[in-house]
Amino acid sequence: MSSTHGFIPLEAVSRRAALRRIALGLTAAGLGGSLSKSDAAQVHAEVDGERAAAGEYEAKRFNEHEFRTLGILSELVVPPDEGGPSAREAGAPEFVDLLCSQNDELADIFTGGMLWLDGVTGERHGKVFADLEKNLQTEVLDALVEAERLEMGADTRWDTSEYRRFSVFGVKAPSEMRRGVRFFDWARRLIVDAYYTSPVGIEDLGFVGNSSHSEYEVPKDAIDYAMARSPFSEV
Amino acid sequence: MAETDYDVVVVGAGAGGGTMSRVLAEKGIKVALIEAGPMIEPQRDYKTHKWPYDYGHRTAGEGGAAYFGRGAAFGFFTTASGGWQLEGEPYTSAPGTRFDWFRSRVVGGRTNHYGRMSFRFSEMDLKPYSRDGIGWDWPISYEDLAPWYDRAEAYIGVTGTAEGIPSAPDGKFHEPPPPKVHEHLMREAGKRLGIPFIANRRAVITRPLNGRLPCHYCGQCGRGCLTASNYSASQVDVFPAMETGNVDVITEGMVRKVEVDSGGRASGVVFIDKRARTERRVRGRVVVLAASACETARLMLNSRSRQFPDGIANGSGLVGRYLMDTVGFSLRGTLPALENLPRYDTDGFGGAHLYAPWWLWDDHDQLDFPRGYHIEMGGGFRMPGPGSFSDLAREAGYGKGIKQAVREQYGAGIGLSGRGEMIPNNQSYMDLDPDVVDKWGIPVPRFHFSFSDWEWKQARHMERTFRDLIEAAGGKVLGIGNLAREREGIAVPGSIIHEVGTVRMGDSPRNSVLNRYCQAHEVPNLFVADGASFVSNPDKNPTLTINALSWRTAEYLAEEMRRGNV
Repeated sequence: MSSTHGFIPLEAVSRRAALRRIALGLTAAGLGGSLSKSDAAQVHAEVDGERAAAGEYEAKRFNEHEFRTLGILSELVVPPDEGGPSAREAGAPEFVDLLCSQNDELADIFTGGMLWLDGVTGERHGKVFADLEKNLQTEVLDALVEAERLEMGADTRWDTSEYRRFSVFGVKAPSEMRRGVRFFDWARRLIVDAYYTSPVGIEDLGFVGNSSHSEYEVPKDAIDYAMARSPFSEV
Repeated sequence: MAETDYDVVVVGAGAGGGTMSRVLAEKGIKVALIEAGPMIEPQRDYKTHKWPYDYGHRTAGEGGAAYFGRGAAFGFFTTASGGWQLEGEPYTSAPGTRFDWFRSRVVGGRTNHYGRMSFRFSEMDLKPYSRDGIGWDWPISYEDLAPWYDRAEAYIGVTGTAEGIPSAPDGKFHEPPPPKVHEHLMREAGKRLGIPFIANRRAVITRPLNGRLPCHYCGQCGRGCLTASNYSASQVDVFPAMETGNVDVITEGMVRKVEVDSGGRASGVVFIDKRARTERRVRGRVVVLAASACETARLMLNSRSRQFPDGIANGSGLVGRYLMDTVGFSLRGTLPALENLPRYDTDGFGGAHLYAPWWLWDDHDQLDFPRGYHIEMGGGFRMPGPGSFSDLAREAGYGKGIKQAVREQYGAGIGLSGRGEMIPNNQSYMDLDPDVVDKWGIPVPRFHFSFSDWEWKQARHMERTFRDLIEAAGGKVLGIGNLAREREGIAVPGSIIHEVGTVRMGDSPRNSVLNRYCQAHEVPNLFVADGASFVSNPDKNPTLTINALSWRTAEYLAEEMRRGNV
């Protein structure tokens, strides 16, 4: 057996070049410090750079119209605000396209769902979803959310560990929208996931982990904040 | 005397086999360590410090496998190297029963990813029958085991604080990290309800140990630790054992039989070389089984011979009997006190920093179940992954409301899990399926399993307690923590992955398979070094006790070899 199977011994910390990720945290001082803002910015810049270098994204599974529709849905489901850009900018359409290119079951949900969406808007407004004015697009999404809430009722439970709905006790929505509920839920789930697993989404959350520290500390202001708002504030 | 290839053949490179191999090798004993899976290479295999966006699929797996319940066990980042089902290696359950079996075929086994909770069994845990007249006592006492806990903890490194709680004996501890914000709230809630939350005891080092760096608090123990700041049998036992030069590790070797000589002594093992799909043999003066409780029992049942027609060392008929898992149930909730909490790094040392040991150990006359459970806890600002915010997003509908809800609620969730003692019973055991073999041609286990009322009542006590804790902190219960596994109100048997029993120890060959040194009553050169030897399954996660027992067995074995007794 080779002798390379070991952990990283104490005396070999200087060989951290082999550990690019850890190296971001294990600074020259040894074990001190956390992932600094500039390090984080560096990571983000690299990701952005890779994307720019790749040029215009070429969809693997969807046609141009479908990909455009995905972009619009991503913009509507997770729009830009003061905390961060939209899910489209965070790469949601590319994420959905990649997964669908590897999974026919998922691809069918999306292609069928988007055709259904175009069918509904075509009958209502004579246009595909992507060509509608924004207020008409949101009108469709509002109707979908309303149908979803009726459909799921108050006691809908989701199997969050496997992402499958296993029981529904709601009433059937009266509109044709109910046929789009499942697609819309899939679309929202993947768009939201794409946003929050991206560098900008992680920044929006304020997630500061995946770091390294020589000592672990919990800031007093965070403890005080929670205690003051809890039933134990008199303690 | 027959020529032997090795002094000792050890089957399985997890916590038990790793400890055994290292302790023997350090004494100059020549060991063949056979592992059914591949070698692990931390620098290649561990995904330490990766981000979701380092992968096009953002950790949902190829084609979004996680969305369809087909993702990697415990998530893409986890170094589980196995799962509930292995291709071509089925197991079965008797009609009407279910037992889920998690196997990690790799050097280090399940210790590469496990939770690293490290709790000593107490004297009450080891003598339960003497206390309440149910089940069986172990043949050893806390006094017998304590020195081995001392050694195991000193070598592995376990955090904690001395508390003097009789149900949770203190050990040789590394300094634990301080509680996180949500843990402060739970500790206060616990005070109101008489439930003590104390520093967690996990196999993580917070000061240098044997050249291992202290924890750097990235919270990613389950991915495997590149600095070996936590215990894994691969990095902490097997690799050092290999460095002695006294251990040959045979990977991809699926053992199918322990062979015996004409005198009924173990002479070695027959295994399938999985790469070549051919049968090979390795011989030794001693055979130690540490393949995990159910795999060890399976191997013994499959080791039939003229002398042992029902499986090696199975004259008692008890091999495979008294299979136990841990009683599991969990609730999740949300604490308004944590909404919009100032962000800080909650990763910590990779698990909860506080836990509650069983606190009603002296009040069983007021409860409708015997034996206890401890409480584990989850919460904080966790690295986002697939599904992290699906429920919040669904509630918000679409648009800016999703972002606002996520910012407000991120980190406000809390999860409480109970891990309780199951009492061994006659309905819970494994035998060999008479009709099914795996792709190596080896008969597979067939599980039979049933919880008694005691386990169900304990699970309901957990549910009430967790509801009380969450509500005492001003929170709201959202539902069962792991709906996929606990929707019946108790975790699916086997799913806590604390399966033990099956080859239990005892003083009488009539009601046990192993003696007090985990040596087979009927075959003096056959030993067991995994959780198969357990007589009961206290609420304490089993690994630390496997380490301690294996170490004790190794010292006994080495001494017996020196004396020429085996």
